[in-house]
Order: sequence, then C-alpha cells, then structure tokens
Amino acid sequence: MQINPELLEKIVAEVLAEMSGGSSGSSVATAAPEDVAGVKLSETGKAVRGTDPKEVVLAISPAFATTFKKTITDIPLADVLRQVFAGVEEEGLHVRVIRVYHTADVAFMSHLGARLSGSGIGIGILSRGTTIIHQRDLNPLSNLELFPQAPVIDLPAFRAIGKNAAKYAKGESPTPVPTKNDPMARPRYQGLAALLHNKEASFIDRSKAPQELSVTFE
Amino acid sequence: MAIVAGIDIGNATTETALARVDGRKVTFLSTGIKATTGIKGTLQNIAGLRSSLGMALEKAGFRHDEYGAVDVIRLNQAAPVIGDVAMETVTETIVTESTMIGHNPSTPGGVGVGLGLTVAFEKLRDLPPEEAAIPIIEAKHDYELAASEIKDAISRGVRVTAAICQSDDGVLIANRLPCVIPIVDEVSAIDRVPLGMHCCVEVAPPGRVIELLANPYDIATLFGLSPEETKHIVPVARALVGNRSAVVIRTPLGEVKERRIPAGELYIIGPQGKRTVNVEDGADDIQKTILACYPVDNIFGQPGTNVGGMMERVRRTMSDLTEIPIADVYIRDLLAVDTLVPQKVVGGVAGEFSLESGVALAVMVKTEELPMQKLAAAISRELGVKVEVGGVEADMAIRGALTTPGTKPPIAILDLGAGSSDASFMKTDGSVALTHLAGAGNMVNTIIASELGFEDTELAEAIKRNPLCRVESAFHIRQEDGTVRFFSEPLDPSAYGRVSLLHDGDILQPLMLPHINVERVRATRRKAKQEVFVKNAIRALEQVAPSNNIRLVDYVVLVGGSAKDFEIANMITDALARYGIVAGRGNIRSTEGPRNAVATGLVLSSVANGS
Repeated sequence: MQINPELLEKIVAEVLAEMSGGSSGSSVATAAPEDVAGVKLSETGKAVRGTDPKEVVLAISPAFATTFKKTITDIPLADVLRQVFAGVEEEGLHVRVIRVYHTADVAFMSHLGARLSGSGIGIGILSRGTTIIHQRDLNPLSNLELFPQAPVIDLPAFRAIGKNAAKYAKGESPTPVPTKNDPMARPRYQGLAALLHNKEASFIDRSKAPQELSVTFE
Repeated sequence: MAIVAGIDIGNATTETALARVDGRKVTFLSTGIKATTGIKGTLQNIAGLRSSLGMALEKAGFRHDEYGAVDVIRLNQAAPVIGDVAMETVTETIVTESTMIGHNPSTPGGVGVGLGLTVAFEKLRDLPPEEAAIPIIEAKHDYELAASEIKDAISRGVRVTAAICQSDDGVLIANRLPCVIPIVDEVSAIDRVPLGMHCCVEVAPPGRVIELLANPYDIATLFGLSPEETKHIVPVARALVGNRSAVVIRTPLGEVKERRIPAGELYIIGPQGKRTVNVEDGADDIQKTILACYPVDNIFGQPGTNVGGMMERVRRTMSDLTEIPIADVYIRDLLAVDTLVPQKVVGGVAGEFSLESGVALAVMVKTEELPMQKLAAAISRELGVKVEVGGVEADMAIRGALTTPGTKPPIAILDLGAGSSDASFMKTDGSVALTHLAGAGNMVNTIIASELGFEDTELAEAIKRNPLCRVESAFHIRQEDGTVRFFSEPLDPSAYGRVSLLHDGDILQPLMLPHINVERVRATRRKAKQEVFVKNAIRALEQVAPSNNIRLVDYVVLVGGSAKDFEIANMITDALARYGIVAGRGNIRSTEGPRNAVATGLVLSSVANGS
C-alpha cells in the first residue's frame, strides 16, 4: 500500500498531541471552550424539546468546533455549519443547534436531535464529518439518510444535506443526496478516523445533558 | 383413466392445468404458472414449460420432476402474434439567443416583477446611480457577498430591480436584502445569459403562478413591443404558462419555436389499395386511416425515418424467429396513442423541460403458423411424454372461459395479454370469429415510462400493477384514494415522505423520480390503461361481433394476465356497460380467476375429441 507522508505526519501529530495532553481528556469539557475562527458558539442552557414546525435540530458532538476545528479532510467546521444553515434557510426553515455531551455516536446524536426538533427532523454531525439525517419516529440505528464516509463529504454535500433535511421537515420527498463512494477512503483514513474518534470520545461527559447553543457567524 | 396436462405457452407466462380424465368425466387436480422462457413458439420455451408443469405436479402430490405420471400433454396452437412498441416524439421546443428562462426552481427568492438591464455581477459596483440593473450572479460568488454587494449598490442609488443566480441561493440572498426583489436561481448555464439586454424577472407568491410574463400583452407593455413583435413573443409567453418564476430577455433575434420533428409516414395497405398517414398528425388520424383500410394487409414505414426503422425491426425479429423470409412477414395491426413526453428544451439555459407531444405505436405481426410441431416433438423427446398440439388458441380460450359461472354462448372473450389483445366470439352454433390486435400490457408500460420520464421497464411494470400511496410519517400512509392507514411497526425509512407503490403484503417501494406526486402518477397510469385497453376492447369487439355491431354481444369475459390488473377490468366493465353488455373478469373453473383459460380449454377439448 502506498503511504501518504502527509497523512502519516498528521497521525503522528495527533498521537503526540494526545500523549502530551493525556490527562486533559475530561477536564477540557469543563474548561471554557475556545471558538474556532468564523463562528461563535455559546451555550444558553439545557436543550429542550421544540414546538416550532419550522425548525431542524442540528446535534453536534462534544468537541465540535472547540477542540476540533476541521473535519477529517481539513474542511473548517465553521464552513460546515454555514453550509448546513444555508441549505436549511434556502428552503425557508431554520436550524437550532444543540451540543450533545453524553455520546459521540452519530446515530444517537442525530436521533436525539430529531426527538427534540419541532419538525421531528434532526441532523447529527461528528467533528470528523460523519453525518446522519434522522426522524424522531425511527429507531436510533435506522435513519433517513446516512453519510458514513466522512472523507468524501464536501461543502456542497453539507449544503445539500441541510436542504434535504428541511425538505423532509416540510413533508416533501427530496431525492437523497448523491453520495460518493471512495473505496480507498477506508484504507487511507481508517487510522486517522480511529484516532479522531478516540479523541472525540475523551470529551464525553455521561452526566451532562445536551446544551442549547446560540450560533453567530463572523 | 388418464392424467392430462393442458399447457398454454403465452407471451409472458406458461400456464398448466392438470386433470384426471375418466371417460367423459374431468377432475382438475392442480394448476401451475411460471414465466415463459424465450419467445413463444421456440425451443427455449421448454425450460419454462418444465417448471410450470413441475409446479402443477407438486401441487397434485407428485414429485416435481415426475413427468412420467402424465399420460398426455396438450399444447396450444399458439397464436403466431408478436407485438412491438415504440415512442416517437413529434415536437420539440427550441429557444434561440437565450430569450427566456422558464424553469421552475423549487425555491426562488423574493416576490414581484423587476425590469432592467442585465449586468455582470462584477460590474455592479461601477454602475452609475439611477440605473435599473439586474445582476447575473455566478456560482463562484458566495450568497453573503452577493447580498452585501447588492445592498451597497442600492445604497448608492442604483435601482437593483431583480437578480438571476446560478446556485440555489435565491432565498438566502433575498433574506439578506433590505427590500424585496424577485430572484430566480438554479440557472445552470448562466454564462449564456446575454448581458446589457432589457430583461424582466417575475416571481409569483408561493402557491401561485406568474401572470405578467405569461401574457403576451403584458410582455408587450413591459418591453414596448409593436403589434408585429407581440406576435413573435406569443410562444415565449406560452412556454412560461404555469411557472412560479420566469425571466424574459429581449434580444434582437431571440425567439421560442415549437418545431415538428419529421417522424415519417406510414403506408397502410388494405383491400382498397394504399393509404398514407403522417405520424406527426397524431393518434386519431392514424387510427382513422387504419380503420378505413380494414382488414389491413400490411403496414410499411417511410424508409430512412424512425417509423420505417421500427417497422423493419419488428419484421426482422419475426423473420428470425420463424425462418420465414422477411418479405413474407406482414404487419396486420397498429395502435397509436398520443402521449406527452418531458424533453429538455433545446437552447434552454437552466436545463428546462417542456412537455412535448409524442406518439406511442404498438404493432402486431402475424405469420401463417409458429413451428409448434417442432416444439412438441422436442418436448416429447425431453420429457418422454406424448405431446399433442391442440386446437386454435382462441377456441380453447372460449372453452376455458365458459367454465366461468354465469356464462353461456353466444359469448365473447377478450384475452388481454402483454403483447397483444385478442378477441373471439362464439355463436350459439359453436362457430368462432377471432381477431388479434396490437397494443396491450407492454404498451401501457412504454407510455407510463415515457410520460414520467424514465427508462426502467421493470419500474413501469410495478407502477402499472400496484396502487400508490404517500408515506406521511414513519407510522402512516395516505393511499391514492385519500384514506389513511396506520402501522404499528415503523415503515421503511427509505420510503419516508415519498410517493411509493404499495405491493402485496404491505411492502412499500419508494419511487425515486423527480417532481412527481400521487395524483400525477395515478393520472398517467389510468390514462395509459384507458387509451390502450378500453380502446382496444371496443375495437376488438367491433370486429368479432355479428355484423360488426357491438350491441349484439351479450356476455364478455375478460381473461389473460392484464385482466388480473386491479383496475383494467373495472374500466372495461364500465365502458361496455354503456352498450348494455355484461362484461367482467372471468373466473375459470370458479377458482382460477382470469388465468388458465386456454390450459383448461385444452384439457376439456381432449374429452370432446373423444381421445
């Protein structure tokens, strides 16, 4: 197998960062989160169930846009949020963002988002980019649309995901977002994805309820 | 005592009736049905015949390959008929110089009408105040940037009256502007929009359609057109009728044309000689000409045209199949149906589609005889069972159909299959008249597929056979008649929110087609069935009825695969009730429904023959 030196460097850097900040795992969650460039996220209290049929709830993972700044393919998370917001807004709806602390499993995150959503439609996005569109009546491990390969999701795809989620919320029948399939994504990114997952999982706080976020783009 | 198997090899299915014959007493044991392998009348049929017979044997308590238990197999003298279907588009819409953008983006921005000169987005900041401008925004410009530039221009006094953009940003830009302007988005070939031209953009409020740009006089008012110029703008206005948003650009030579595509002529040879009809004249004219030429000897298409090609293809298939020289294959009937086909507009800048007229043609070829004797000999060799070729198919079908309770001669049967619609009429004295007509199930599939704009024939077959519903939540669906059904288990998430087919056993098949709704698919499906089956039912009965008078027929029994359909039989019952005819789906031997008529007839005829 061909070894990508850049990717290798990235993995080494990730491991080193993890080792040096080894004990910081759980403490970071309580520390004041630093914002990534382009977006300001501030917690406004415990996330509650919405009643507005015009909303789509976006559930993000514990360290999304705080410790993590980019997806697995270096797309800034601020841009990811912006495109999902734009996709939903173009359809005439709006996004409510919650941060989930008790899990970093995108299926349960997005299902929780859907359950809290006034329209019953939720989106879950992990820091590395993995995404699901969910509906509250479905089983958590089922879904409306699943985008399992984070490396092949680009910004137009995030826009389309927002657009489709809004269309489901309106009761329309959108054509599923065309997903690319890269057979090399697994061998190339599996190592990095595992590291990113471990890192994300270290921010899980099982005792903390999902929090409502206010989002301002800069 | 003998075990007799009547086997009917049809275009689509091979059906078996297994019976014990004791003197004149016939006891039916079981039936079998499997898909026909290969084209009927060829040696490829043996595989399908084996499995159909095997199915009947198993049901009757034998092993599925215990062919020796059967004393005699009776085959039908299959009607030597094959059909073919084709679509011809006969109109196309051509836009020159990008005069209009008539596509229907799902979410245009703002609302209202804006008139001004088209200007490149980059040039917006150089415009002098008081200029009425419509910026053309390419996809590379972000919506935030686009909105802020437009805001700047407005604050400098430039009158930005509307906007046209390439990506799906209409609502996003409109939400960020201080005033409401109409914005048309998703214009894919935006580089073809001419700059520096007078242009009008209209976006209607949600749930309404544009009014000004669909009215020629309003366009004349907006652009100050002369009466002659107004005449030229009519096709543009017509092309925009029914849209929620539209753009009209005034260019020196731009226009919208509807062109008729030369699809070719049909030459129909009848007893009075040759008549000619042009395919682009539509189904009614073609059908009138055919009727005038009855009984048709042969039909040719104009050489070098699409119709000519289609006619030759059918002849070649039949000739290859029967080893009859191509010159001796005769096309005996043709059914034409008008359709509307979504086609991409030539020269459109936003991938617009327009509904063009088309004609679907089904033809039927008849030769002297299919090589059934050859097939019978091969079956006899393979299975080691005596094989007889029974009487004419229509004769057998009537014998079978008469086992339906409540029927008696004189009786007519309509055999609605996949490739052809056949009718036969039996008088009280037992004499039979019969006819084969082009157009049946396969033609319905072709019409459904082309009107809904896809090519998958299996999908068309599924749409034809199953009622529709819309999955409204994870637990309930709304069926096509408006009723709601609830489910206790969550439904398949891939069908969520979608128009779906409701298969037997409550299996949902979501339709992944763009811009469809339950009403449209249902209307298309029902219209296709009406145009093919109801039209053919009347056409066929007119030919077999005594002195061609359909009112002299009392009983009509519908048999064949398409009679099993959930609505075709009802449509025909309804249409024939007007002539005072009792028509309905057959119920062969009180148990088989409209299936197995010919196979049953084959068994019964063995007794009549005294074998």
